[in-house]
Amino acid sequence: MQSTYNSHVKRIVVGLIVIVALGLAGKKLLAPKSFGVYGHYRADAIEEAAAIEIRHGTNASCLSCHPFEAQIHLSGKHSTISCEFCHGPYADHAKNGKKIGTLPVKTGEEIKILCLRCHNRAIQARPGEVIKTVIMPAHLEEQKVKTTHICNQCHHVHAPLRYINHAKRIVGMQEAS
Amino acid sequence: MNSVHEGASYLISNYVFPNDLHVHWSMMIVLYPYLSGLVDGAFIVAALYYVFGVKSLKPIARFSLIFALSFLLCVGMPVMLHLGRPERNLNMLITPSPSSAMAGGGYLFMVTLAVLLLLILFLYRTFLVKQQRQSKGLKRLFYQVLTFGSDNLSDEALALDEKVIKFLAALGIPVATIFHGYVGFLFGGVKANPSWSTPLMPVIFLFSACVSGISGIILAYIVIKRFRKEAVDTACVRTLINTLFGFFILAFSFEMLEVFSHHYLRSGYHHMVEGLLNGPLFISFWIWQVGICSLGPLLILGWLCLLRVKDSAFVIGSAIVSFILLLQVLFMRWNVIIGGQLMSKSARGYTEFHPEWFDKEGIIAVVFVMAVPFIILFILSRIFPLWMEGKSEAQGAGGK
Ligand code: HEC
Ligand code: HEC
Ligand code: HEC
Ligand code: HEC
Repeated sequence: MQSTYNSHVKRIVVGLIVIVALGLAGKKLLAPKSFGVYGHYRADAIEEAAAIEIRHGTNASCLSCHPFEAQIHLSGKHSTISCEFCHGPYADHAKNGKKIGTLPVKTGEEIKILCLRCHNRAIQARPGEVIKTVIMPAHLEEQKVKTTHICNQCHHVHAPLRYINHAKRIVGMQEAS
Repeated sequence: MNSVHEGASYLISNYVFPNDLHVHWSMMIVLYPYLSGLVDGAFIVAALYYVFGVKSLKPIARFSLIFALSFLLCVGMPVMLHLGRPERNLNMLITPSPSSAMAGGGYLFMVTLAVLLLLILFLYRTFLVKQQRQSKGLKRLFYQVLTFGSDNLSDEALALDEKVIKFLAALGIPVATIFHGYVGFLFGGVKANPSWSTPLMPVIFLFSACVSGISGIILAYIVIKRFRKEAVDTACVRTLINTLFGFFILAFSFEMLEVFSHHYLRSGYHHMVEGLLNGPLFISFWIWQVGICSLGPLLILGWLCLLRVKDSAFVIGSAIVSFILLLQVLFMRWNVIIGGQLMSKSARGYTEFHPEWFDKEGIIAVVFVMAVPFIILFILSRIFPLWMEGKSEAQGAGGK
């Protein structure tokens, strides 16, 4: 290969042009087809997102089949809380008015973890006016019980103050007499 | 315990949003600007020789470029380790958004790499052509690729090379500056973070980059020369130290200016920034970055530059001051990046950073990422000799 004084420079320039051209071609080929139709995103993404099956049915979807829990739930302090937050999504459980799968029911320590996801004072950012928080195990020590107690031994999970208010009423009656 | 004010004191003190508890931009994002800063600084040293004709820098001019290349090749590594889905980084390049600095950064990286690589290949062309003529088979092919298949070393060709080198080196200055300025800009552009979002951020990053790069070159030069039992060119080191002094004064002034302007302006989140520097960052900012690693070097640099210092003491002093300044810049990156994320958006509390050992962004990974550039430097030094003294062809390049 005979090289002149500037053949390497020419080759570099040609090489750079080829690289840029390949890059542009690659960019064209690899870019998703529907990209940029509406804006700087894949237009297909809209339809794809719309086609995703809805997994959560809201509390209304649970009430018809679970009137017993619903009635308790709606009467208590947790009435605004989503059933599905604690139990999992509707889609795993019911379809077209039929039960299709079991939802996990938390027991023991799991319940403690579940409750503390919202009621833990160690998470500093909880606005105390909206969600009352407790610090563990101080909360149990205040009640003068063993620190192994689980929340649902005193709080009804669906209406957390149900038993406590009940107990207070009984105690109040005793005090009155 | 159950006092009336307990609730109130919880509200006003250490109130951290749950999504602020974890420091997301961890140590890899500290290393990223550190590495790219070393590239930038090392390039500035080379530019001083090739563009501005500072002749005393000749012994380390080529070394600086190879040093810069070794680190540039690793700049992407910490970022990839940080990403949850690193393979998706290409998407950003395929459909770059004009309003995203990150995509621009990807392209800037490629331009910087091309300029640096071409500059090195042109500088070493005479040497590479000779290697090619001496070798056979695969090795010959390898050198043919590096010389773009041309073995023409006529005067005309060398004159052309010289022009190209000047052009590339001059082009390299804005490219390297923008490349690293962009890194500072990335932080400066985060509106949500009051300690980052200042127009001074790119400037501070640039000057500290120059400081770290020059220090890196000085330290590496002295250590390698000592290791090989070769003489250190003190004239060269003196020039480097003078340059370093200048850049460091600027870098440090801007760093302090930033703190001062936060303090003086007392803008909305000023109390958070002040509390950060005087609270969680007190040790790493005031004691280490400002005290030990800035005031110390200013004294040593003053001594080295302003007084008559014997050569042997000068070399030792230079190595020490370079080492401390490398630490200074690392502390600065740490305090800006990790430090900046310790403030909660609640503007009421600070979180803590817990580095892990075995995480993909953990301490072991940091050591690994910092070691790779040196391995690359070693491999590159087998192809591109770092020192050209005593070799007649040295004047083939640079034209000085
Ligand atoms: C705060 C979390 C929480 C919410 C909200 C909640 N549950 Fe529950 N639920 C639990 C826990 C924990 C248990 C099991 C422990 C217990 O019963 O004490 C349970 C038990 C049940 C059970 C009985 C399961 C069994 O086989 O023992 C049903 C049915 C149920 N919930 C339905 C509902 C419905 C319907 C709603 C909404 C109206 C709802 N839950 C809202 C936490 C919750
Ligand atoms: C089509 C009616 C239907 C709907 C709608 C429905 N469930 Fe059920 N669910 C059942 C039946 C049937 C059972 C099993 C019988 C039982 O234990 O009472 C059950 C059981 C449960 C259990 C106990 C664990 C299990 O799977 O056996 C939980 C918890 C539960 N449902 C929660 C919910 C929640 C939360 C919703 C709303 C998202 C919901 N259910 C909606 C019919 C329904
Ligand atoms: C999804 C978040 C969430 C979870 C999980 C949750 N709670 Fe609640 N809880 C709330 C909210 C919100 C309120 C306040 C509702 C209101 O006042 O309207 C509340 C109220 C309460 C109250 C009444 C406080 C008061 O005096 O007003 C108690 C007690 C309680 N929860 C206990 C529990 C227990 C026990 C569990 C675990 C089974 C639990 N919570 C799980 C959100 C949660
Ligand atoms: C030994 C029984 C007992 C257990 C176990 C228990 N609590 Fe309570 N909890 C109470 C009583 C009683 C009150 C009401 C105190 C009052 O009204 O003064 C209360 C109040 C609360 C409140 C409201 C606090 C407030 O400031 O008004 C929350 C939230 C709460 N509990 C959450 C929990 C959680 C979460 C658990 C499990 C980790 C738990 N509790 C376990 C007895 C208990």
